[in-house]
Amino acid sequence: MQDIECALDLMRRLPPSQIEDNLAGVIDIVPDLTEELLSSVDQPLKIVHDSESKRDYLICDYNRDGDSFRSPWSNKFDPPLHDGQTPSGELRDLEIKLNEAFDIYRDLYYEGGVSSVYCWNLEGNNFAACILIKKTQDHSKQGQPMKGTWDSVHVLEVEIPKKGTARYKLTSTVMLTIDTNEPGTTGSVSLAGSLNRQEEKSAPIDQPNSHVVNIGSLVEAMEIKLRQTLETIYFGKTKDISNELRQAVPVSVLKQRHDMTKQLTSQLKT
Amino acid sequence: MASEDDIVQIVNGFLLNAPPGEFMEVVTDVRGLLKNDALLNETAPATFREYNTEQMIKVASPTGKHQVLITKYGELGNGEYLDPYGKQVLTFDHIKGEVTNHRALGSGDITQEVEPYRKAFEAEAFKYQNEHYENGATTVYGSKNSDGAFVVTTCISSSIFNPQNYWNGRWRSVWTATFSGSGECELTGNIRINVHYYEDGNVQLNTNFNKAKKVPGGDPAKLSAAVFKTILTLESEFHTSLEKSYRKMGDTTFKALRRALPVTRAKIDWNKISSYKLAADMK
Repeated sequence: MQDIECALDLMRRLPPSQIEDNLAGVIDIVPDLTEELLSSVDQPLKIVHDSESKRDYLICDYNRDGDSFRSPWSNKFDPPLHDGQTPSGELRDLEIKLNEAFDIYRDLYYEGGVSSVYCWNLEGNNFAACILIKKTQDHSKQGQPMKGTWDSVHVLEVEIPKKGTARYKLTSTVMLTIDTNEPGTTGSVSLAGSLNRQEEKSAPIDQPNSHVVNIGSLVEAMEIKLRQTLETIYFGKTKDISNELRQAVPVSVLKQRHDMTKQLTSQLKT
Repeated sequence: MASEDDIVQIVNGFLLNAPPGEFMEVVTDVRGLLKNDALLNETAPATFREYNTEQMIKVASPTGKHQVLITKYGELGNGEYLDPYGKQVLTFDHIKGEVTNHRALGSGDITQEVEPYRKAFEAEAFKYQNEHYENGATTVYGSKNSDGAFVVTTCISSSIFNPQNYWNGRWRSVWTATFSGSGECELTGNIRINVHYYEDGNVQLNTNFNKAKKVPGGDPAKLSAAVFKTILTLESEFHTSLEKSYRKMGDTTFKALRRALPVTRAKIDWNKISSYKLAADMK
């Protein structure tokens, strides 16, 4: 197995609640893989403040240049860089529109949180974008010791093979953590992790707002699917597995019920 | 740059955090990343041993049909582990992951005074484990602490490995009963659950629960029955509370993080996305 495959396999097995420490540890072991790991392993998003625009934004590898990060609102780097990488004029216009659109999307679905969209140029007319959303919830103030964090990282590759049509390739990860700590009843319970998925679609770009419409609906459909899967895995599958590890109802009672059901079913057939 | 010692620490930390059933996969990954296998070889025996005894892995008895747990409570040294039920001592090779030898119990291996209680607890433990841990095994140890009190420790370890469907899980319970003669018994328990689901992702459940309760004392039959009645009650309460927590997490916190649909109860009409903003501004 190649180094990067070992590293990625490791990240899929180590506890997600310690993802930043795990990644730092792997980088310490194989420093040559640093860049590749930082760009392929999703980490919980960090929120920073743009004091000029008076708004928060999210930082990740895609708006990083050296040790500076670019704000999607002011388009400036912090700490300042005089020649930092920014999207071309037309692409920056699209980036502004996408930030506005996803700001509304975030408000409608998340009713809070922070969102940021970053675009960068690829070959020719092709471009890439990442859409980031972060939301945290802390019920401890309301007397319930439950906390949660949702991080969405959507990375999009947009190819324009011929005029009028675009092909969108979306790779999405949602990181979800929900913790509770009630010493008297359950002790500490932590559900942490991430799920990823990919989707592709081609769509016409014949209107001025086509990219916003196509990207918006693609990301929205992806998040709806991922949310459903997260719900099933987190609150269904892991609970089912716990119930297989220990039978709350005694095995002899379960067997009795099973035998009775079998008897009734065979009686109904005759 | 991380020193060799730092790297050894990091690597051992990774190994000890391997999900149930995936220890060897983590070893393979770590070996693949380390250019120098020798770094791992020196500390491997201790790390493998720490992992196996913490996880309380179960092994088949080489002489009977029963299962034995490899735990810290049964560790005699030199790779030897107590199997009180089988009246034997097993030698377990942590690196190979197998029982390599066995011998009969020696007089120094167990505390005879505690045996009547340990046996009574063990009988109850088997009954309890058969009814509630189909995929589990239990091993019960007896000893005396520094104050001369009797200590009977019941270890239950239940695991299911399903890598074809990308999931593994383990439930560990340890219940320690401390008492003097027929005086009141102090019962303390720890329950830990670890579940890993990894199809197109990495999702893990980790729980850790501690409980203490006093149980009235008595002779071996009376005390063991009372203790296991209490264990059943406390574990059932925990299990029910866990179900309740799941419902709350799914119904409350999860929904508060992201709605299934906007208040409009419909997906967004992206052609009209700017009109949503106007409506919000008008509030």
